[in-house]
This record gives sequence, structure tokens and C-alpha cells, in this order.
Amino acid sequence: MSYAFRLLCLSLAAFFLVHLAAGLAAAWFAPVAIRRAERLRPRAAARLLLIVRLFPLACALFAVAALCVPSYLWFEPEAATEDVGIVCLAFAFLTVAIWSISVTRVTQALWNSRRYLRECERTGRQLNLAGNPSLVVKGNDVALAGLLHPRVIVAEEVLETLSSDQLEAALRHERAHATSHDNLKRLLLVLAPDVFPFFTPAACSHAERAWMKFTEWSADDCAVAGDTSRSLSLAAALVRVARMGGTHQSSPLVTSLVAEDLSARVDRLLHTVPDVKESNRWISGILALAAVVVATLILQPAALSSVHWLLERLMN
Amino acid sequence: MIAFLKNRFAPRKSADLGPLENTVMEYLWTSGESNVRDVMDGLDRPLAYTTIMTTLDRLFKKGLLDRRKSERAFFYSPRLTQREWEQKRAADLVAGLLVDPTRSSDVLISCLVEAAGQQDAALLDELERKIRLKRKELDRRRKS
Repeated sequence: MSYAFRLLCLSLAAFFLVHLAAGLAAAWFAPVAIRRAERLRPRAAARLLLIVRLFPLACALFAVAALCVPSYLWFEPEAATEDVGIVCLAFAFLTVAIWSISVTRVTQALWNSRRYLRECERTGRQLNLAGNPSLVVKGNDVALAGLLHPRVIVAEEVLETLSSDQLEAALRHERAHATSHDNLKRLLLVLAPDVFPFFTPAACSHAERAWMKFTEWSADDCAVAGDTSRSLSLAAALVRVARMGGTHQSSPLVTSLVAEDLSARVDRLLHTVPDVKESNRWISGILALAAVVVATLILQPAALSSVHWLLERLMN
Repeated sequence: MIAFLKNRFAPRKSADLGPLENTVMEYLWTSGESNVRDVMDGLDRPLAYTTIMTTLDRLFKKGLLDRRKSERAFFYSPRLTQREWEQKRAADLVAGLLVDPTRSSDVLISCLVEAAGQQDAALLDELERKIRLKRKELDRRRKS
């Protein structure tokens, strides 16, 4: 077998094993993270849950790119004529399977999102609503579509029904999603491969749902910016749009004003006056510390040699 | 170890909770991790220490609480959020109804959808009422 083919098989197999281990660790930690998130400000809670959900993917990519490939290139003689064992091939095949599923899912989501946006651009008209360039279309929803330059989409029925302060609050909510790049984060979540083909631990899915809840809460907080009157306007806008049946489900990459958990969101807007000022920097601190520790470990001369020894075991 | 295995693999009892168990769970969802004394002090009605202790232990054995020992007391915290617990109860109920082959699942599902529709409308009415009340309260506060 050629040098490059063995590297490919080893990288894929290593990806599967590391991803599986990190996925199980994330599944074990997810309930703790969800409970912890309930006590944090929404923005910090969403950040924590996103990290937990994407941890297996990041871990596996890092292990392959920073450990497997360099150690193979460094220590494996080009003239070696080893064969790849059946177990290694099976793991490599599983990686191909989970990535195929993931890429199909992403392609479908991107296609649906693009089709929805094109349809809106074709049939809608451009308006400047409360300082926000928006597309006004037929329908009954307020949504944010697009990844790099997301567009706010407002239905005519919503324009007619909402008062000006309610509409302003709803638009501020959507702009908050755009500022935090929530659609791009949704794409990453859709891209995150399953642990096994068609299987992701339930705890990871719970973390993803909790992330969605907290991103909505965080966008609510940004829209309201500590103003009680605006808080009531946003609550009223949510209820009115929900009454129109306004929820967009065609793509996970389209953010809708009325997502799940309407009752909890309205209650929250009525009973607290969320403020955007927050300083939960501890997650970034922990991550930076972890990165320093990992980098220090990898810089040890013995690390790549040990990885190569493991790869040899895996290959045979 | 034996206690861990027993707790881990013992068959889970019914998801139904008694009135006191419900009250204790609600206290823990609101207040977070607590010991027996905290729960006893936090409840509206006076109850014996041992009653609360037994209730918490029962909830732990049902798999609804986690506990850790700190010095000489156990601290209990809910394993599920209130929302997750309600979802689990609803899911168990529906699964229990659908598993019975003598019932038509179509009829059950259509009843559920209809009930959910009515519930949605009622919920939206209720939310609007709350918003109106809050708005009035805010206006009154501004005037005074």
C-alpha cells in the first residue's frame, strides 16, 4: 500500500477513535453543562453549550492535524511496505460514513436556506424598517436567513399586525442573531458528525436544544437592552407572531422569531429586565489555559514519538 | 460499590410523584442544590426532619436526584430540569398509550393534536393577558 494511502487510512481511523472518545466524554458532561448553563447569563450559557457540542469534532480534528499527520510524516519511513489492518480499515470506513451523513445534512440545509432566501429576494421588496434593511415578503413570520451576510425577512402580515415598537423590538432581536453569527453556529452544529453513523448520544442533542434556547434568550436580551417597555413590546410581538402561526421550519439555518419555548421566553421577558452587560469570561479563561497545557504537552519531543507508536498499533 | 450498582441498575419506579415529592422537587428546581435542613426550612408547612430525609432518599432512589456527601450531610440536586421532567412525563404517558395494541394510535394522535391546538390558543390568550397586566402595572408606576 502506498505511503499516502496508509496516512489517509490512519488519519481517518484516528479521527473516528478520538471523535468517539470525545463524543462519549461530551455526552457524559452535557447534563452537567446544561445544569450549569441554567445559572449563567444566556450568552455565556450558549457559548458553554456550543463548546460542549463541538468539542468532539474539534478534538478529533486537532488530534489528526496536530498529532497523527506530523508524527507519521516525521517517523514513518517512505520505503516501508506495511499493510493496513482490517480493524484500521473498518474505523476509516466508519469515519467516511459519519462524514458522508454530515456533509449530506449540511448540503441539504444549505440548499433549503439558499432556496428560501432566493425565493424571498425574487418575490419580496427591499424596505428600510426601523433602520434595518429588510426583505418584505408574503407569509406570517419574522426570520433571519443567510450565513455570511444574513438578511432579515419580514412578512407583510406581520408588518400590518405589529405596532411600530413591537416591530422594532422584533427586528432588534433578529439583528442580535445576525451580530452573534447564530446562523453560522447553526451550520457548525449541523456539520458536527454523529458519534456512530446515525447515532448521536441523547445528551448531546439535549445540549444542542438547550443551546438554541439560550441563543434565543441572548438575542432577547440584546433586543431589550434593559428597557422594560421594550421587553413588553418584544413579548407582545412574540405572542402576535405566534398567533399568526409564524414559525419557519424549512431549514435549520433560518432563524425564526418565534422558535420553541415561547411561554418561557414571554414569562422571562415579563419578570426580568434582561441586560446585555455581562462579563462571564471564565469559559474563555479555561479554554485558553487548556490550549496552553495541550500545546506544552505536544511540544515535548516524546509526544510525537508516542503518537507514532500508537499509530503503528492501530495500523496493524 | 454495591450501593452504586444497586442504584445504577435497579429498575426505575413509576414516574408518578406523590404530593410531598412534588413539593420537594419544586423546591429543588427553584433553589438548586440543598441539604435536608435547607429543604425543611424552605417549605411552607412544618415537616419533620426525618420525613424530608426519607422523601429526598426516595427521590434519589427513583433516579430524580443526584447527591454528594459534604462533611456529614448529603446535598441533593435535581438530575433533570423541570422542563425535561415534564417532557419525560408527557413522553412516558404517550408511549404508554401507544403501546397498547387494542387502542388505535391514529385516534390518540388526532386527539393529542386537537388538544395541543386548543392548548396553544389558550396559552396565547393567557400570555397576552399577562402582558396587558404588566403593561398596566408599568403605566401605573410611571404615573405615580
